[in-house]
Amino acid sequence: MKLPKIRELLEAIKALITGPYTTKFPYKPHTPHQNFRGQPKFNPDKCVGCLACEAVCPVEAIDHRDIPDPQNPKRIMIHYTDTCIFCGSCEAACIADNEGIKLSNEWDLAFFDRTLAEETIEKDLELCEICGEVIACKDHLKWISEKIGELTFSNPTLYLSRLKSLRVIDENLIAASKDYGRSDRTKMLCARHRRETTLTTQ
Amino acid sequence: MAKSVIPIGPYHPLQEEPEFFRLTVDGETVVDIDVNIGYNHRGIEKLSERKTFDQSTFVIERICGICSTSHPFAYTRAVEDIIPVEVPPRAKYIRTIIAEGERIHSHLLWLGLAGHFLGYNTVYMWVWKLREEILDVMEILSGNRNNYAMFKPGGVRRDINPDDIPSAVKKIDSIIPTLNRLKKAIVDDPVLHVRLKGIGILTKEDAIDYCALGPTSRASGVAKDVRKDAPYGAYDQIDWDMIVAENGDVFDKVVVRVLEVFESIKIMKTCLKNLPEGEIDLNIADIPPGEGIGAHEAPRGETFHYVRSDGTNRPARHKVRAPTFMNLPTCNSTVIGETISDAAIILASIDPCYCCTERIAVRNEKGKKIYSGKDLIRLSQQKTEIIKRKMRIK
Repeated sequence: MKLPKIRELLEAIKALITGPYTTKFPYKPHTPHQNFRGQPKFNPDKCVGCLACEAVCPVEAIDHRDIPDPQNPKRIMIHYTDTCIFCGSCEAACIADNEGIKLSNEWDLAFFDRTLAEETIEKDLELCEICGEVIACKDHLKWISEKIGELTFSNPTLYLSRLKSLRVIDENLIAASKDYGRSDRTKMLCARHRRETTLTTQ
Repeated sequence: MAKSVIPIGPYHPLQEEPEFFRLTVDGETVVDIDVNIGYNHRGIEKLSERKTFDQSTFVIERICGICSTSHPFAYTRAVEDIIPVEVPPRAKYIRTIIAEGERIHSHLLWLGLAGHFLGYNTVYMWVWKLREEILDVMEILSGNRNNYAMFKPGGVRRDINPDDIPSAVKKIDSIIPTLNRLKKAIVDDPVLHVRLKGIGILTKEDAIDYCALGPTSRASGVAKDVRKDAPYGAYDQIDWDMIVAENGDVFDKVVVRVLEVFESIKIMKTCLKNLPEGEIDLNIADIPPGEGIGAHEAPRGETFHYVRSDGTNRPARHKVRAPTFMNLPTCNSTVIGETISDAAIILASIDPCYCCTERIAVRNEKGKKIYSGKDLIRLSQQKTEIIKRKMRIK
């Protein structure tokens, strides 16, 4: 009867000496382990805006909004911090060497207004020169052309986008001719118009 | 003879989960028990049919907060059974490490709660302090204290960094002395002996008849464990013992769980030491039509998953059978004849998990009709209408 109580007493004395186990959290900030999976964050320099993360996200916490304004077309990548479950699927699926979106150590994500629980970055878009449809992000086309090397020059959309980014072509020159015929094939086109300009006899 | 009915629930004051026990008592003695569950049905099986095989693991992981490895483990085994494939050895070891870490923290959680149920709050505080260390180990190994997101059909998502292993092992080792003292404190304590020995006895015959699983059956002398009977993961490559006790009372269930924690620590440390090199993922591209089954020995018993594929990238049917589904009916044989004061701990002794169990809720009570599929759809539509009206949504 006595022995178990003595053991408990020993533990109690030890607790008196060592002090409480709990941390002084609100006064001392908590630093999680480096492996901790916190809020995913976009890296605007690395992200190519390919939407692979959006496709794999199991809770649809990643979304995008396209603004196909001809002067300044933008794609806004959105990450909703309230629905995110920090599973890391986005990072694993990222085509830009898993660095376009990365889980951070950020854990303090409390907020009062749910509509503000989102993080966004902006990417430049490339639009179809005939219909103004979204083709892809400029960085995505650049990423593809880097991957396929010389084969880039088999596809006007890829090489024109690349040359435009290097500023070696005059944009006014390409836009001048517009006859919706075969001559339009050497333009930046969406999939539908690439097909149409290839099949047309004009 | 006058009999009174004592309701416990529908929100259990101690277990803090939605379940309803109706005890019919004669004086102090329980003469009849009725269990109602079904307050927590979330339609997860249907939800997993709408996600891809890969995305489903995250839904399955959230069936239960404590079994967040057991369900994905059984599910990924079921998906791999459709193809069928064997995962690489390193993935097997990592899966085993995560599964055993979960067993340790789940058993410690229950042990603390059991102390809390008995009014022995010293044990409660002690054990939950130990559990923190294990949760920290899991954070080092997987990146999160719970919901590890490690499993995927064909392997694991993240590798264990060799640099993290020494700190993890050190943390695991640090709980062993306290755990030893705790084991003694529980096994020797005269108060616990009086409170737990000889109550809520589940005989070996009853355990077999009710198909009891996990520690509930092993405490009754039924040596049943999926890890030994049909080895998977790294369990056949490691030396470990199955803990079996004979009496089947609540005390034996406590002892089985405490000793299993030591076995799990042994398995976890051996796996971390012998982690083989190599791939961690098979990168399965597509799943052929067919059906597969997967089982895993969860902390509470065998979890069973059935998955049918029709050749698309989504499961055509997914069925979950959680261990509490088999363990809960044993209260018929354990609680009846005991006093009400003991009923709370006997009901808790199976380590029930209702959110795992609640896959469908159709009850047949006296005079009430069972609903058909059409009726259920109609009922759900009516309920949605009522909710819409209340919330003034058009």
